[in-house]
Amino acid sequence: MSKRQMHIGGFLGGGAPTGAHAASWRHPKAAADAGINFQHFVDISRTAERGRFDFVFIADNAMVREASKPEALARSAQYIANFEPLTLIGALSAVVPRIGFVATASTSWNEPYNLARVFASLDHQSGGRIAWNIVTSSVDNEARNYGQPRMWDHAERYARAREFTEVVRGLWDSWADDAFVRDKESGIFFDPAKVRRLDHAGAHFKVEGPLNVARPPQGHPVLVQAGASDDGREFAAEFAEAVFTNPPTLEMAQAYYADVKERAARFGRGPGSIHLMPGISPIVGRTEADAREQFEYLQSLVHPVVGLEMLTTLLGADLSGYPLDGPLPELERPRGGQSAFDNWTGLAKRENLTIRQLIERTIGARGKSVVVGTPSQIADHMQTWFENGGADGFNVMPPYLPGALDDFVDLVVPELQARGIFRTEYEGTTLRENLGLARPERTPDREREPVA
Amino acid sequence: MRLGAFFNPTGHHVASWRHPDAQADAGVNFAHYVELAQTAERGKFDFVFFADNVNVREARPEALSRSAQYIANFEPLTLMAGLAAVTRRIGFVSTASTSWNEPYNIARKFASLDHISGGRVAWNIVTSSVDGEARNFGRDRIEDHALRYERAREFTHVVCDLWDSWADDAFLRDKESGLFFDPAKVRPLDHRGRFYSVAGPLNVPRPPQGHPVLVQAGSSNDGRAFAAEFAEAVFGNPLTIEWAQGYYADLKQRAATFGRAPESILIMPGISTYVGRTAKEAQELYDEMQARVDPVVGIEMLSAVLGVDVSGYPIDGPLPELDRSHVGSQASFDNWTELARNEKLSIRELCLRVVGARGKSVIVGSAVQIADHMQTWFENGAADGFNIMAPYLPGQHDAFVDLVIPELQERGIFRTEYEGTTLRENLGLARPERKPRREAAHV
Repeated sequence: MSKRQMHIGGFLGGGAPTGAHAASWRHPKAAADAGINFQHFVDISRTAERGRFDFVFIADNAMVREASKPEALARSAQYIANFEPLTLIGALSAVVPRIGFVATASTSWNEPYNLARVFASLDHQSGGRIAWNIVTSSVDNEARNYGQPRMWDHAERYARAREFTEVVRGLWDSWADDAFVRDKESGIFFDPAKVRRLDHAGAHFKVEGPLNVARPPQGHPVLVQAGASDDGREFAAEFAEAVFTNPPTLEMAQAYYADVKERAARFGRGPGSIHLMPGISPIVGRTEADAREQFEYLQSLVHPVVGLEMLTTLLGADLSGYPLDGPLPELERPRGGQSAFDNWTGLAKRENLTIRQLIERTIGARGKSVVVGTPSQIADHMQTWFENGGADGFNVMPPYLPGALDDFVDLVVPELQARGIFRTEYEGTTLRENLGLARPERTPDREREPVA
Repeated sequence: MRLGAFFNPTGHHVASWRHPDAQADAGVNFAHYVELAQTAERGKFDFVFFADNVNVREARPEALSRSAQYIANFEPLTLMAGLAAVTRRIGFVSTASTSWNEPYNIARKFASLDHISGGRVAWNIVTSSVDGEARNFGRDRIEDHALRYERAREFTHVVCDLWDSWADDAFLRDKESGLFFDPAKVRPLDHRGRFYSVAGPLNVPRPPQGHPVLVQAGSSNDGRAFAAEFAEAVFGNPLTIEWAQGYYADLKQRAATFGRAPESILIMPGISTYVGRTAKEAQELYDEMQARVDPVVGIEMLSAVLGVDVSGYPIDGPLPELDRSHVGSQASFDNWTELARNEKLSIRELCLRVVGARGKSVIVGSAVQIADHMQTWFENGAADGFNIMAPYLPGQHDAFVDLVIPELQERGIFRTEYEGTTLRENLGLARPERKPRREAAHV
């Protein structure tokens, strides 16, 4: 029997097209214009495919990031201006044949019919290689681009997301897999008994259906989620097939892993049906000293104004009045991004970090886990998490692009393959097949009930 | 002359999918579209056009299940993203509705597509006209005609202003100094209108074309007013040259009242061309296509273009007087009822006229005859170009490119090479300057 295999995604764009590190765009091996450079995205997707990654992940937000100081914003390339992810993966999947594509789309700023349609269409276009990363959106700044002064509260956002997701799945099941007969002789194009309306009327949405796209090749595009709050975990346990989180330590990752798998079991879902894939930002060197030097060089590119601003955003609190070398003050818990707040304030408290020290810990990867070392050290780290209940795989967040992705694919992937814990060839043609996820059956007509 | 290739997945004829050479699974066959787009590019078409709707067309199940059109197919924005990646020069026009989208999302997607394609996309602005779509978006019915156009007007202003969020040279990306963009070269929108409130700025840099090209197809009075203000290409469906000339003159004149030059708004009627190597071959093709139309589908089709159910009337009798007050497209209703009246057509005869191209103008002939028709319209104030609607795909698209295009080129009225790299350059449309701040604030 072959060894359990890890799954690897490449977190390669969307809001952070030049890479995960705050100063990524200034690195000599970074494409500073990545946000609108389509060829750059083709190249990095091909590199990820060469490295047999399961997927490329394009995160998203629907605004220009706000900063308390325009100067901090003007020095940053992240969450400023870049491709829209759904159109981007539509284009990439046409020229990169095997790898999957995951794109974020918000349940707050879209209509379920439109999103069901786009993801179904992309799934057909790509031959079944698409996943939807479901986000609820958490910042007022986005709300103001959609006619609302403020975000809804956390529970309301998740209630809406739940109904939204149910509607989308229901729409994907509008047509039976074999509904389209296309019999030129008899003139019957489809079997009318194999299509149904949704007739959904819930608290947030009213959608008649059916969807005007045939059932997707994967049945449903893969569902991904990243929330780590209690509502977020519950949502993940019910719907998500891959979960992207950012626990800073193995202990926190293990606790999270156990909790989400257990919650999923309560929805009747087996542990293999939900993959936990923490983010990891690897800085790969030929030697440990080389890796360390690379990391320090990157850190040196961060302007202090940018560092403070990032911490402010991460915690959802204004820190500009406090001394950089003093302790982190007691802060009010924000309405959005509560798990990041808890993780990082918890870390600062445990390790008695000053604001400046906390900045140094967070800026490495916008608050995600940075691992600095040789290929074998990085593989050790991944293997340890993978074999000790911390992860089913990883979302690799190269600190700068394309250079750091090249390093990971050329140096770390062969090491993982040599250890027998990562594929050397794709198992299937669809993303589900490569992730080892079952293709959902269409719900039978009679079981369909109004949701919410 | 300008040419667009307007693709319905299997073709425009209502029985297109039943043709032995038609790609019956076109709605989910991406390779089919790649082939179509690359053939169109070989023919030096200005663009490929995808119409859109946001529902499964409504009809009696018996009629619907025999039809391949507006049932289930690719979503056009993501489709054209894929196609832009495998073509280099041709443009892409896609429909998106101002009724079922948020302006921020639409501004963003088209700006993104314009960057992905290197400046080759256009937005066909529609207001949506069927209640079946409304019911997929939480409403029972669509808004009335005038209100839809008011909404469309504000929506379009917001989108254009969002595209102007960033100056063309806002992004310095100076690795040395660490300055990524110049904060003086970006501005919020702070739009507060009757329908929308949008803070901005857009999170996509200014599109390569400044603004993606704006296209529109309405031909009602509200539709013409809208086209005159915004549209850079107009897709009408006139059935006669006289009507087309009136429409052409009216739109150019209305555009002038907005201070727009005649060449800044291109009138491109749709024509469904049945191309043969000889006139006889073309006529045989047309007859063969018509013979495949199921009467159930024909009646349903006629009901759809009229916006009135005519299934209850005797099929060989005349078209009765019908109530036009609830129809979706008054222009379409008027065109067809007038034709039936003028030519004294029975319902069956009208059905066959309609089904030929889903209610669009049909031309059957050799390459020379088709080129003659196009040249006549083009040189007599009826058209700046055409939207070519192949009756079945891919065969009739190939035939147009292989037979009609060389004939048009021979006559010196169609390009043999692309003039530029962007759709605007090929259409001869100016790149819009970014509006100074003071003009951008409110609609």
